[in-house]
This record gives sequence, structure tokens and C-alpha cells, in this order.
Amino acid sequence: MAAAETPSAALRRRDLCSRGIRLAGKMRSDVADLLDVYVERQGLDASANVAALDGVPAAAAERWGEQTESQRLLDNLAAYRAFRALLTEMLEEQRDQAGPADTALREALAAVLLQVSAFAYHLEELLRLESRGPPGEEGARPPAGPRLGLGLFERKLRGLGVLRELAQWAVRSARDLRQLSKPGPGGTAAVPAGPAESQ
Amino acid sequence: MFSGWNLVAHGLYLFLNICSLEGGLVQSCGHIIPESPVLALGSNFTALCILNESCLDFGNIYANQIIWKTKNRLVPKEQYREINRTVSSVTFNDTTLLATPLTCNILADGQIEQNIYGITVTLGLPPEKPKNLSCIVHQVSKLRYPMTCTWNPGRHTFLDTHFRLKYRWPREGFPDCIPKDVNNSCTITDVQFFVNLEIWVEAANALGKAESDRLVFDPIEIVKPLSPHNLSVNSGILPTVLKLSWENRISAAVMKLKFNIRYRIIGETNWMQVPPEDTASPRTSFSVQGLRPYTEYVFSICCMKEDGVGYWSDWSEEKSGVTTEDKPSKGPPIWRIIDASHSPAFWTVHLMWKALEPLETNGVILRYEVTVRAKSPLSHPPEKYNVNTTSLTLKLPNGTYEVTVIAHNKAGASPSSVLLIPARNSKAPVKNIRTLPKDGKLWVGWTAPNSYVLKYVIEWCLVSNSSDCVIEWQNEPGNVQGTYLKGDIKPFKCYLITVYPLYADGQGNGQSVKAYLQQDRPSKGPTVQTKKVGKAEAVLTWNHLTVDEQNGFIRSYTIFYKTVDGNETAVTVDPSKTEYTLSSLASDTLYTVRMMAYTDEGGRSGPDFTFTTQKFGKGEIEAIVVPVCLAFLLIVLLGVLFCFNKRDLIKKHIWPNVPDPSKSNIAQWSPQVPAKHNFSSKDQMYPEGSFTDVSVVEIEADDKKSFSEQDLKPFDLLKKEKSTSEGHSSGIGGSSCMSSPRQSVSDSDEGETTQNTSSTVQYSTVVLNGYKHQTPSVQVFSRSESTQPLLDSEERSEDHAGGNDSTTQRHQYFKQNCGQDETNTARPRFERAKQITPANEEDLVGFAQLQISGQNSQPLGLGLEKNIEEATLSDVIQASTEGQTVRPETVEENPASADEMPKSYLPQTVRQGGYMPQ
Repeated sequence: MAAAETPSAALRRRDLCSRGIRLAGKMRSDVADLLDVYVERQGLDASANVAALDGVPAAAAERWGEQTESQRLLDNLAAYRAFRALLTEMLEEQRDQAGPADTALREALAAVLLQVSAFAYHLEELLRLESRGPPGEEGARPPAGPRLGLGLFERKLRGLGVLRELAQWAVRSARDLRQLSKPGPGGTAAVPAGPAESQ
Repeated sequence: MFSGWNLVAHGLYLFLNICSLEGGLVQSCGHIIPESPVLALGSNFTALCILNESCLDFGNIYANQIIWKTKNRLVPKEQYREINRTVSSVTFNDTTLLATPLTCNILADGQIEQNIYGITVTLGLPPEKPKNLSCIVHQVSKLRYPMTCTWNPGRHTFLDTHFRLKYRWPREGFPDCIPKDVNNSCTITDVQFFVNLEIWVEAANALGKAESDRLVFDPIEIVKPLSPHNLSVNSGILPTVLKLSWENRISAAVMKLKFNIRYRIIGETNWMQVPPEDTASPRTSFSVQGLRPYTEYVFSICCMKEDGVGYWSDWSEEKSGVTTEDKPSKGPPIWRIIDASHSPAFWTVHLMWKALEPLETNGVILRYEVTVRAKSPLSHPPEKYNVNTTSLTLKLPNGTYEVTVIAHNKAGASPSSVLLIPARNSKAPVKNIRTLPKDGKLWVGWTAPNSYVLKYVIEWCLVSNSSDCVIEWQNEPGNVQGTYLKGDIKPFKCYLITVYPLYADGQGNGQSVKAYLQQDRPSKGPTVQTKKVGKAEAVLTWNHLTVDEQNGFIRSYTIFYKTVDGNETAVTVDPSKTEYTLSSLASDTLYTVRMMAYTDEGGRSGPDFTFTTQKFGKGEIEAIVVPVCLAFLLIVLLGVLFCFNKRDLIKKHIWPNVPDPSKSNIAQWSPQVPAKHNFSSKDQMYPEGSFTDVSVVEIEADDKKSFSEQDLKPFDLLKKEKSTSEGHSSGIGGSSCMSSPRQSVSDSDEGETTQNTSSTVQYSTVVLNGYKHQTPSVQVFSRSESTQPLLDSEERSEDHAGGNDSTTQRHQYFKQNCGQDETNTARPRFERAKQITPANEEDLVGFAQLQISGQNSQPLGLGLEKNIEEATLSDVIQASTEGQTVRPETVEENPASADEMPKSYLPQTVRQGGYMPQ
């Protein structure tokens, strides 16, 4: 795969990885800010423990270091497509609230949603460079059924869980892309180190 | 006939109306296609008017009857075309000239114009392709990054044209951004970074659509971030360092920043900048070094994306901070003024030093330490003074001193400034001192002496009449040969500038120059006036203008003078002069003169002054008067000489010989009288020469006229008369006491002679010679103060001899003297003589002698001896002073006597009978 890359494809891949890493970093930063706003606006406790939610992709992965590049990209793409759907849902739920502070929350949610979409685009482009092409989105859509019966508080908690998990994914994605940008055995061009993901 | 046609036309009109209304309100007999088109300006256009078939049958209306109008203006038929019997077209090759509305009309029966249909034509232009699309992302908060794009919309289309800013990600579109109220910009409320955005502008109107070129970029590349905020400035340990701290308002996750820091000293306008490479990495603090101690600085900071892609932020708010104090960097410049006028042995040394510049103080100067060290061998230990001011006055013995001044602030002491005060300024001075105004300042230049100069001191002061010369000064290093005066140098003022070279071992003489920063015309002109005016010249004089009035160096004076109707003449005068002589002037002419003083910038005239030249030149009057006077004097002299030569002749005319009483018949009739006379003592008492002076005075006092030939004639006549009456004149002589000498003289010369003689001699009875043929026995000059006839004394001498009763004598005397007291006759006459010739003491003395003699003779009327003496004396005088006369006093001296004279003289009026004893 990497051996077959043309110079332009290598540059493109490196550019995508670089900007993906920075986008992941900004997304993590924005999600962290959004979490604060969200907890405040929804009247939640920032330290509330949210159990694993159905339909929310978990950032934690076993044998992460052993994953192939394609697997990393696919896992990321699946997760962000899922987050795109989840955030869209959350944004729909927030539309009913018309206060100015809620508007700020909605705008922040919309901004994060855009970033999630942008990151998904990066992943899709990288997958195209892998000559695989992105998979269809049908399988990534989260099941909508169980959430229809949730109460308001549960939806708030679920939103909190989604954002927390997205923050985790932002960290992981940055690492994944940094892993992808490392020079591979096939002579893949080195990608300059991005910002520290700890930021 | 006509009425029939009208009827038909009217019917047709009604028919068309009916046709119109038949199918409803909007049904007509035709229509135009296209309906209300929008046309491009300059394009061609063809419209069709299509008649309804139904109208053809009823009204016989066909397409060939159609006429086209644009805004009621008939379209030329050349543009028509009949397509078929119901369709007519009109074509416009250029729609620019097409006015709206365009109407299709028909001429019924060739006369009646009926509108069939009309359309509105809209003209405009299709949109141009928007150009110069550019975008910038303005950070407005930590999370909001609106992006504003601007473009050039192109030409005006005259149509409603819509612009849309379209943007999308490669696989995701976004709603268009539609400008509000403008057509050249639009703001996307939020953009996402790190994904390429494709963006373009679409312009559309009824005539078409156009798109700009598409831009593809990552919005992170066009961000203008917010400037860092919460800037703070803290002084560090070092006095040259300030530490800045700030907060960035853009997340490092979004972009890494680089910075630019500028700073300036407060109060100044020019900014300094920290080298950009020092702040090219992300940070939130920076230490600015190389600052001045104890100086307040203002800082500001801006940022941009670290890689330089994007835009710089605005400058942050300004924050100031002060560096800590440091020791003064140099000692204060020091100079002195020495006043040795009070005492030669002691100087009054006025030490003065300048406060250090803020750049040099490095803090607040707390005090100055002044050390004065005498350099003589027997010097005392140095004396130290701590002062807070910048001057110190000391009284020091004449000598050489080394003065040291050190400034202290909180951080420490400055290096010392040393001034050597030598006993004498014996070193070489600077040369060729000169000044030059330049850039609003006064530059002073000089040529350095050959010796090495430590530094120069430039003294200057404003020269003014109204104020003293207050000395200002400055130091300059020894390697310069010119400097600008650092002070408030005013234009139009005179400055006296002195340059002193200071050597390591002494001081050179000061060299001075006067200078102006800027010159102007004098504020007034000189006031000219004449010192002396002659016939053809005038000496003008004026005062120099004062320094305050000069406003510059007086380069010259110009004198303008003119007559009332003449041309003005100008004369240029050297400025050092204060006097000038105008020559070649016309005599007896009024001149107006004024004077202008010139500086380099021009001149100003003083007040006009007028003078008139004299009619006569110097010496002309003298040349006339002196010869006249000389001629007059010569004539007088000649007259005097003539009179002198003819004195005998004149004398005879002026002083008729008085018969000698002793020789008179009466005397002979009184034979005892001569026997009683003893003249021996009289000869001794009145020697011949003793009356010479009197005679001279008599001559000089005589008026020349009295000696003139014309006047002499009457004297001749008188002489003749006298001569003829000599024989019986003794009676006259006896009556001379009553008739004044004037009366006797007035017989021959009434006027001047009488007066002149009266001014010198009161009166006298002179017996100089014997009357012609009479020779007195003894020559006696007898002067009598008495008006008593001499003969009376002779007569009374007999009485005296008989009994000499003084009372009786006095009584008789009173009778003959018209009641005048004897004692009163002598003194008043003497006093009057003094009044007449008060200045001629010698004459007076001589005259007094005569008075004495007169007094001596006075008692002639009292006693016989005295009469004898007088007679003898008369003879003596007659013999010794022949030709010299003493004139008797005139009548004016005692007019009362003259008035009273007739009463007492009456008994003597009988002249023919000689003396009549009383």
C-alpha cells in the first residue's frame, strides 16, 4: 500500500494526517469546553459517572498498538460517523430550547458536529489513499430505537456520555493519525510531529 | 359625405370596443410576444404583434395596418415586417435606444389610431464574473471564528442581481452566504479549520449568472487572531530589564503563535521593537532587555500564526512599567563664573553644574557632592560640600583649584566631574569662531587650538538693553569643532557667544562672537537731527540703535534727503558712524531728511527731520561786517588824529579863555589881594605834571564830533565872539557860579559838545593861560565847586580882612548862591562825579584830587587866604597844563540849580556894567 504511493499521494496523506491531528486536538479542546457548557446548562454534575452507553463507540481499544493502519482508519471513521449521528440528535434536542445560553450551547454543539464531520472527511480521504475507499454509512448509524423512550434527564446524561466519549476519541484519533504518519516499513514519508495531544 | 364617413368611423370604434369587452375585460384584438421581456443593453430585439382572428372579420383589421410605438413615439416603418395578415414584427438592432412601453397600434381606416397591446421592456446587463475574491477569518472570541469574504461585483447591471457566497467541503456542502445590503462581501458566522474549504461567489440576474473563480483553502490559513490580553509589565532585578506577561486568546490546539513586541519610552512617539526572532515561538511571557534604568516604558504585543501564514493580530492594549534605578552614568557638567572685582586677593567663585539628563541620572538625584581642592603647595585639605541645588558660591583665595562634583542617587554615585580653575587663562584660545543658523538652531563653530583639548565650554547670553547678560553654557567634548547651542535661542535677539578650551592643565582664553539665530529688519530707524547747518552743508548726527531695536547686524545706514519739490537723494553711510555731513546743499532751502538702518533682512526708516540751510555762508557776514567796522574805526582814528593835531584850535573853540580875575580891572581895583597870596606851597602841591592825566581824560572823553571840523567852525565863531568880548568878560567869569559851564559853552555849541563835556567834568573854571594878552602872575588851575563868583571872594576878602564874620559871610553867600548851602555843594558834586565815571578809578582819583583842590578852593568864598591860594593855583595850572582843560559840570547834573539860577543870578544879568557889588 505505502509502497505504491506516488509522491503526490504521500504529500496528500501527510497533509491529511497533519491536519487531522490538529483537528483532533482542536476537537478535543472544543469538546472539553463544550462539556463545561453542557454540564452547566443541563444542570448536571461534572463528576457524574455515566455508564457505557448503547450506540456510543468506545474509545478504549485492546491491542491498539497492533492495529493496522486501515483498521485504525476504519475504527475511527465508524466512531466519528456514529458521533456525527449522535451529535445531530443532540442538536435536534437542543433546538427546542430557545434561551440565549442555549443558543451558545447549540452553536458549540454545531461547531463540534462540523469538526466531527471534518474529521470523518479526513479519514475517508485517508482511506481513499489506502485504495480502499470509505465504507458505506448505513452500518454506522446508531440504533435509534432505544433512545426514543428515554426521559429528559436520561437524554442529558446520554449527551454527557457522548461528549465525554468524543473527547476520548479525539485523543485516540490524534494518536492514530500520528501512528499513521510515522514512516512505515514501505518508506512512507515522515510526517512532522503534530502538537502534543496532551494539550 | 364627411358626415357619412364619420358615422362609419364611429361605428367601427364602437365595434372594436364591443369586441374588446366581448370576451371579458382583458380581451383585446391582439397581443405582443414576448411579454415584458428583459433585454440586454445593446442587443437586438424583435417583437411580434399578433391580431386575433375574431377582430379581422368584424373590423377589417389586418397586420399591414399595425404601427409600433415606443413611449408614444412612432417606430419607423422600416423596422416593421408583416409576417402574415395577422402578425406584424418590429426589430430593434440596438436595445439601448428602446424606450418602454412598446405598443402595438392599428390605424382603422387609415385615420383612427387604436392601441392593441403594449409591453414593458426592461433593459440591463448580465452580471459580470465576480473578481478578487478574498477571505479573512477574524477571531472574535476563543471559539468563534467568523470568516468574511469580499469580492469585486463587477459593473452595474441595472437589474436586480443576487450574489451568493458558496462554500463547501469536498464532500459536504453548506448553506450559501447571502450578503445583506451589500453586493461585495459576506460573512460566514463560523468556519471549521483543518479542512479545505472550496469557496466562490455566484452572481445572477434576469439576464444570466456568473461565478467567480473558486478558492480552496484551509480557513486556519487566513486567521487574524485576537491580540494577547492581560498584558502586565514587571521590573526585574536588573535595572535594564522588564518582564512582560500576557494571555493568548487562541487555543494552541487551533494554532501556534509567534509574537511581536514593541515598546517606547513614555512621552516619546517612536516605537522600538524586540527582534522578531526572539519571539517567534509560542509563549506567554518575555523579558525585554537593554532598557534604560529608571525609565518608564510602554509595551504592546501582537501575534499571528507561528508559520507566518495568516494575518497579524491588532496590537494589544498598552501597558507601562518602570525600570529600577541605577547609578548615574556620568558626572554633571560643571562650569564657573569668577568674580574678582571685590578683592584682588580673593575670588568669588560661582560654581554651577547642570542637572543630568534623564538618560544619565538613572534615578532621582538625591544630592551633589562638591569637593574643592587647592593646588598650591601649601594647600589645605580638600573641602567638601553637599548641596541639593546645582550651584555653589565660594569665596576663595586667588589661586588654582580643582573642583569635583559627584551626583548621588539611590543606587549610588556618579563618576566625578572635574573642573580646573586656574589662576590665569593663559592657554591657547580657539580660533576662527563663527556661527551659523541651521534648522532653527544656532550652530557655533571654531578652529581647535594646536594643543589637545579636553573639552570646550560654550557660554552665551542674550544681549539686551533691558536685562543683564544671563550666562548660559554647555560642555562639548574636545574632539568637536562645532555644536548647536542647547537652549531657547530666540530669533531677532543678539547673543554673545564665548568659547573656552579646557586643557588638562589649564584653560584657554575665551573667544567671543555675536550672533543672531534669525535677523529681521530693525524695529525702528535712527532718529537723525542736525548738529550744524550751513549754507551748503549740514552736519547730521544720530544715535546708534539699541541692541533691542536692531533685530540684526546693522550693515549700513542710508540717509535720504530731499527738498520740498526735489527728488530724494540717498547716501549710504558706514554703520559705525554717528555723524555725516551733507554737502552741496542749496542755500536757504528747506530739506527733509530721514535715515534708514539696514540689516541683512532689510531696513526701516526713522522719523523725518527738516532743516533749512542758511542764507549766508560761514564768514560771509564777517567779510562784510569786519571791513565796515575797520573802515569805521579808521575814520574814527583819523578823526582823532585830526583832532589831536588841531587840539589847540578845538580847545579854543570849546573852552573859551576865562579872563584871569587877577588881571581883571577889579583885581587891579583890589590891590591887596595879590599881596596876600602865597603861592609857594601851591606850586609844590600842584606841580605841572600832576594834571597831565586830567588833560588826557578830557581829550578822550570829548566827543569826536566836538572836534570835527564842522563843529569847529562854531567854535571859531565863538572864539571870535569871545575874543571880541574879552575886554569885559571878567563879569561873565564872575557870574560863572550862577550860569553853569554849559550855559557858557552853549553859547557856541548847544548840543553834543555840552553833553559830552558834562559827562567828564562837572564844571570848572579853568585858567590855563592868561587870557590872550593877560598873563597870570602865578599859573593856577583852579577848580571850584562853588557857583559863587570869584569876584565875590575878592570882594569878601576885603570883608574878611575887615572882620571876617562868618555868619554874615554865610548870609551873603546864600544870597549869591541862590540859597544853596555851602556844605551841600561840595559833597553832592563829588558824589555825582563818582556816579558819572564809576569805572574810571584813575580818572576818579585824579578827579578826586581836583575835588580836593576844589574843596580847598571852596573856602575862597569864605576866606581871603583861600581865594588867594586858588588864584595862585589857577595860575600854576595855567602855566603847567596849558591847553589841557577840565570841563565844568553840565547843567543836567543839577537841574534844580539851573532852574533856580535866574532868581539868584538876576542881579548879575547886567553884563555891560561888569560886576555889581551887592
